[in-house]
Amino acid sequence: MLADLNVSWYLLPLAAVISLVYSASRYELPDRIVRRAARLFVTIVGCMAALFAVLWLFSFGL
Amino acid sequence: MGVVQSAERRRPWEEKNVVVAGVLAYLIPGAGHLYQGRLFKAAIYFFCILGTFFGGMKLGEGAVVYNSPNNKLGVSLQFLAQVCVGLPALPAVQQAKRAGAPNNQPMHELRHPLAAPFTGQLVTSGPGDEIHFGALEGRIELQPANESGFADVRGKFTGTLDGKPVDLDLSGGFLIDRPIGAGFQRKLSCGVARGTDLHPLASQTIRGSIPRSLIDAYAAPPDAATLHDLHGRLGKFYDLAIALTMIAGLLNILAVWDAIEGPAYGFGDEVLTADDEAAQVTASASKPSDPSPATGAATAPARR
Repeated sequence: MLADLNVSWYLLPLAAVISLVYSASRYELPDRIVRRAARLFVTIVGCMAALFAVLWLFSFGL
Repeated sequence: MGVVQSAERRRPWEEKNVVVAGVLAYLIPGAGHLYQGRLFKAAIYFFCILGTFFGGMKLGEGAVVYNSPNNKLGVSLQFLAQVCVGLPALPAVQQAKRAGAPNNQPMHELRHPLAAPFTGQLVTSGPGDEIHFGALEGRIELQPANESGFADVRGKFTGTLDGKPVDLDLSGGFLIDRPIGAGFQRKLSCGVARGTDLHPLASQTIRGSIPRSLIDAYAAPPDAATLHDLHGRLGKFYDLAIALTMIAGLLNILAVWDAIEGPAYGFGDEVLTADDEAAQVTASASKPSDPSPATGAATAPARR
């Protein structure tokens, strides 16, 4: 069942976990941890999406 | 430094022994922070790090965390990252020694009776090049036999063949995977005794697997055949599974550091002294065009 899913979808929960753990190691206050983790998650996913878009453009028509 | 640090957030961290907290944080992600009373962070580290680790184990069918016994260094590079998770990965050290023992080999004969659930196929070969497969699910019982001075295996399979009840008498052609190895299924094949309805030039074999115990399977290194099989079936998901377990280990390094040294950017409740407040007021007074008002810098030291 898991193998039917595109491998790229696994990057979303992975990015969430990395954002949470990294932010938790930087800050102590819970609301600050959650805010910074959300911001880092959006940054990671946004950069990955941009890279995917660039790669898709380069591969267009191939 | 000019910053007075509030005792409220810092006290749980300071009152506890950092060595104990660090060791606990390494062994079980979040345990060190639980010991320090930092419950929110303990929950984050526990669920995130162990969730990633065991998610990778599940994706890789339990055969991704191991220490390669043939490496001249004595430890594989992927295991160097995985072992940072702590207790969940440490058994791989001992499992590598057990798996490398000389008697841990595939076996063609049984020393003790064997009874276990079996899942696999009934392979009928012949006549000629014909090969037929039927899905088997049920229970297998085997005993060692000694006929004419030769060690042999006799037994029975009881279950279903393609959904229909079937009983098969088993005899000869026995092969079972090594007892200690990666994966929670242990491959087994055995010949089926010739039945009266079988073509004289045909033969039947059952090929499948029986469960391998947790102690023999967890964190044991896979052999080449198992690795080949995993890569063939899982493809890039096997590599992803290894990556997830390595990432979990590397994240636990951050958790251990946080338990020992505290959060990297401070506890977030630092209060500036009067000197620093005056310096900030002076700085904002020297910039009349700056529209932003001088703010309390309670959180300024924590920003990066």
